[in-house]
Amino acid sequence: MAKTILIVDDSESIREVVSFTLENEGYEVLPGIDGKDALKYLDGRSIDLIITDLHMPVMDGIGLIKEVRQMDNYQRIPILFLTTESQAAKKMEAKEAGATGWIIKPFVPAKLIAAINKVVR
Amino acid sequence: MENFKAKFVEEATEHINDLESALLLLEKNSTDKALIERVFRAMHSLKGGGAMFGFEKISEFTHHLETVYDLVRNEEMEISENMLNLTLAAVDHLKLLLNEDISESEETEQQHYKLIEDITKLISEKESKSDNNENLPESAIEKTGNQPIKTYFIHFEPSEEIFNNGTNPLYLLDELNSLGESVAIPHLNKIPELNKLNPQKCYTYWEVFLATSEDINTITDVFIFVEEECTLEIQHLSDHNLLKNDAFVAKTREIRKSGKDIGITELQNFIKTISTNTRQLQKKQTNSKTTSKAKENAISSIRVSSDKLDHLMNLVSELVTTQARLSLFAEEEGNPELVMIAENVQKLSRQLRDNAFSIVLIPIENMLTRFQRLVRDLSSELKKEVTFITEGAETELDKTIIENLADPLMHILRNSLDHGIEKASEREKHGKPRQGKIVLKAFYSGASVHIKISDDGAGIDTDRLREKAIHKGLISADIQLSKKELLDLIFIPGFSTTEKITDVSGRGVGMDVVRRKISDIRGEVEVDSTIGAGTTITIKLPLTLSIIDGLLVRITDTHYVIPLSAVDKIFAVEHNKLVNTFNNLVILEEEQVPFYYLREEFGLPENTAETEQVVVVRYEEKRIGLTVDEVVGEYQAVLKPLGKYYKEQEIISGATILGDGTIALVLDTNKAIKQFSKQNIITEEITND
Amino acid sequence: MTKNEENKINSYLSFKLGEETFAANVGKVLNILEMVKITKVPKAPAYMKGVINLRGTVLPLVDTRVKFGMSETEYTANTCILVLDIDMDNDTVQVGALVDSVQEVLELNDKEILPPPSIGSKYKSEFIEGMARSNDQFIMILNMDMIFSTDELAMLRDTTSEQEEQLAEESEEAEK
Repeated sequence: MAKTILIVDDSESIREVVSFTLENEGYEVLPGIDGKDALKYLDGRSIDLIITDLHMPVMDGIGLIKEVRQMDNYQRIPILFLTTESQAAKKMEAKEAGATGWIIKPFVPAKLIAAINKVVR
Repeated sequence: MENFKAKFVEEATEHINDLESALLLLEKNSTDKALIERVFRAMHSLKGGGAMFGFEKISEFTHHLETVYDLVRNEEMEISENMLNLTLAAVDHLKLLLNEDISESEETEQQHYKLIEDITKLISEKESKSDNNENLPESAIEKTGNQPIKTYFIHFEPSEEIFNNGTNPLYLLDELNSLGESVAIPHLNKIPELNKLNPQKCYTYWEVFLATSEDINTITDVFIFVEEECTLEIQHLSDHNLLKNDAFVAKTREIRKSGKDIGITELQNFIKTISTNTRQLQKKQTNSKTTSKAKENAISSIRVSSDKLDHLMNLVSELVTTQARLSLFAEEEGNPELVMIAENVQKLSRQLRDNAFSIVLIPIENMLTRFQRLVRDLSSELKKEVTFITEGAETELDKTIIENLADPLMHILRNSLDHGIEKASEREKHGKPRQGKIVLKAFYSGASVHIKISDDGAGIDTDRLREKAIHKGLISADIQLSKKELLDLIFIPGFSTTEKITDVSGRGVGMDVVRRKISDIRGEVEVDSTIGAGTTITIKLPLTLSIIDGLLVRITDTHYVIPLSAVDKIFAVEHNKLVNTFNNLVILEEEQVPFYYLREEFGLPENTAETEQVVVVRYEEKRIGLTVDEVVGEYQAVLKPLGKYYKEQEIISGATILGDGTIALVLDTNKAIKQFSKQNIITEEITND
Repeated sequence: MTKNEENKINSYLSFKLGEETFAANVGKVLNILEMVKITKVPKAPAYMKGVINLRGTVLPLVDTRVKFGMSETEYTANTCILVLDIDMDNDTVQVGALVDSVQEVLELNDKEILPPPSIGSKYKSEFIEGMARSNDQFIMILNMDMIFSTDELAMLRDTTSEQEEQLAEESEEAEK
């Protein structure tokens, strides 16, 4: 069965780029527009990885990470967050909230895949 | 967050210092691989850390530098004078970038871009591409595997909670394996019994042997997400693929079976013994050097806040005092077991004390890089040829003293370079070697540390000094001054014999400030010079340890402590040999030793006992005797200050509380003897009149 | 300032040096000790008696009498040491002061404190905060900070004016 990746970002272009790249690699991609929206997918189905931006309306990345880590089914799901180089403080915060790793924006597809390969096999 | 930033700044400062000293060494030995590695590693850390903690400029900047040195490492580029100069300029710039206020200024910005331009020029000269956006660890696929395969040992111990953030350690092992060939040995000894086992926790740790052509940075980058949640140790074992070596593979199987941790030294020894063949043996000898070097660097230092150190010292002091009371009590009680225990406590507290002090004392070596840099830059700016030699870099000083010494020493060096050492052509005319020499020597002498800076330059013209002083109205024309007194004139504020005010040492505004700064740390500075031959400046500093090993003595009913480091010998001498002597000399072991009758010096009545004790101490290069009633014994004195009311007091440097609660005064023998000798000269003069 | 501190300002500890009685604000007095062993520090000013051990701290000891121009303290059963908290150079230091005896604690309100005398007093007015009357004697309330911060021995007024006074006294005597 194909692995499923949840991509959460309020920017449509990001969602599209990621979906396109990952679908080419054989992943199934679910898009969420913000943290709250993403939660609707966490209904018990099998998800292998969450990639989330940090700055989003309604519920931001940190909020989402914290929420996910409380959920029985998804407690230990790998979560990668998107960050720019200058967001050092946010990076710390996300890690402390329970994120597994990060991807630095802007990224080329190869980098995205390399990061994913670290946490999903 | 501010904490992290501050920590990074500290770490970065160390990296930059390390970088600077490595570069200066590299200048003398441009093919030393270990040095190049050191430079590279420092830059890599700065780059990574910079990005993490908001110092993007640093990250960007070091990225370019790193590219250059990567080429050097791979032997695609050689170190040139130009490159080193540029790199040193870059190091200076990095220091600026660490200070956020300065890094924002326009000047800095301009300099920033200019330097980057120069650096990239260097790179493009070699027609190599520079990597951009090196943000993520690279997978093995992207590198060309033309490099030789090396073997590494990796100890990877994830924290128990590592599952909580979605990490799967096995994936990391997989990734390692994808870099080449590996053998992973899991260790299960941390797994508790079933009834105590928490399946949400990770108890396993691994030891991995990895043979790869990738470098250690790529290996480290595998663990980039989990750096903070694991204990990670990566060691270079060999420049060869040990996994192809049967003996080694067998050894790994053995280790796996035994289930024990791999002792790295044992393993290294084993690796050494594996091949007895000539070519490989030679290569391995260099390996063990590099591994031990890696180990040295791995025996890292930790940073401890000054407050913690001070607190530690206070506790140690109180322990020593309490232990003194314990020992006294034990003696009085007479209980043999108690006495033994008290002795043990004394031994332990002594060791603890020595240990604590060694933590607080820092070798002056750390300061020296700054000086070497100064001499190098300045001598080239002034177009003078100078070698700078340091001796005694391992001499240790209290950290606060070192901090306060840096400026005065820099100034003295500047003076030496500017006014002391002559231009090469001038030197040749006087039959001197073209290259001037400045020597900085540090050593212990009695209870002080001496730092001597000597140059073989032009020396100080005492006649000119005299003229200048007369001209300024400081002395009258008919007074005769000794050479020493004339030289001492340079310490008078505003006194300068140079006509030109150079940028370098300014208006000679220094020497009085130097003297003041040194006396602030209870030190002394003296100058000696011979015109045409050179000048020597000597700084003497007390070892301000708060616990000193002393000799406890008694005079009438007051106890005194003489620092043991100053004590040479103790003699029992008949009373009548000590009074009414001519010139205050006593014969000890067939030598004439000058002495001071302390009772007299302290204004106490003469002793009526038949025998007295003479404690011979070292003073400058002489031996001087001090008379006391009784020598009680060795004593660990916890120094307590006398306080503001005694701030004029020079000969007693502090007090200590004895086991029975009485106070003993700690004698500063150097200051005391100095004072006694001055007074005695005066009294002699008076009696001679 | 808290109510408590305000109250403290009005409590004074009186003590004697020779025949004269003085007082100090209790806020300045940390402790009163009986005589203990004093370790003399050589080559110190005459008014420095030495140092004593105060619970593990080395406390300097001033001979208050000498500071006031009197002869050295002679130890009796009543001799005490006042441990004082002195403000000096933006710092607070502790110092011990030898006194011949300690009397009592006086509660004085501001009205009871008269300004220091401008003439006829042996002591410089900057060291004296005021005068008060108790049990038929005049007590001089001292500014401890000032007294114990200076190196001056001369607590005394200008010696010239004192000499003049003395001369005047002597000539008066002679005429009798």
